[in-house]
Amino acid sequence: MTAKGLQIATPTDSTLVLTRAFNAPLRLVWEATFTPDKMRRWMMPPPGWTMTDCECEPRVGGVLRVAWKSEDADPAMTLHGEFTEVVTHERCVHTETMVLGSGETIGKLVETHAFTEQGGVTTMRITQVYGSKEERDGALASGMDQGMEACYQRLDALVAQPA
Amino acid sequence: MVLDGSPRLDRVFHALAHPARRAIIRQLSGGERNLSELASPLRMTFPAATKHVRVLERATLVRRRVVGREHLCRLSAAPLRDAMLWTEQFRQNWEARFEALDALLEEMKAEEQPRSRRR
Repeated sequence: MTAKGLQIATPTDSTLVLTRAFNAPLRLVWEATFTPDKMRRWMMPPPGWTMTDCECEPRVGGVLRVAWKSEDADPAMTLHGEFTEVVTHERCVHTETMVLGSGETIGKLVETHAFTEQGGVTTMRITQVYGSKEERDGALASGMDQGMEACYQRLDALVAQPA
Repeated sequence: MVLDGSPRLDRVFHALAHPARRAIIRQLSGGERNLSELASPLRMTFPAATKHVRVLERATLVRRRVVGREHLCRLSAAPLRDAMLWTEQFRQNWEARFEALDALLEEMKAEEQPRSRRR
């Protein structure tokens, strides 16, 4: 079994589910997912952004706080929330609010991480529940800033060609 | 960061959010069909099929032309490509993160086993 294959599902209008397997024991996947100095390694920001703050306390009432800065703004974006349910090495639930440097809230969600391990392969399932369909679709679109203009230019070229 | 909505993409996602409409798109990928041809495999009434086709038309996924008494529908694929690109970028961003996590986990495994066995 290979530890690949990100699956993205939208079981309801306001939900996104990401499922991904990792070729590592559950204990390590949990540690990498919720330990700040490890999170800095994989929570990759958009190009040109730097993570300036990362706090994560996976216990009930514990905080989640991540901040990034860009060349133009510090912070460029912050993410903050609180853990509401934690079963160590099994599942946890936290709230999450994303705020731009301007103070504008761009997303509010409840995120659940659930982990299962089988034969040294750990499956992580992230369920994100947004306030509305619009917010969920907005999150789906959140990658658009990176290279999307280039993508659209390629698309335009593609569409412009006679079929 | 693009935060503004795109009404056009909203309509595409709304149109794709129903299994009957996805079935219609699959049928149309085989070529032009009239409304009864679209309705019968779905065991759908004519008005129900018409309703779904209207939603697809609003999303510009389907173009309809009237020839005599027939309403001929065909697929217009460009908005589908837009929708795929939209989610594809989201997928790529997460996949990039998870690949970084893969690399980190390999390091963590190696640290736990100083006499690391390479598999």
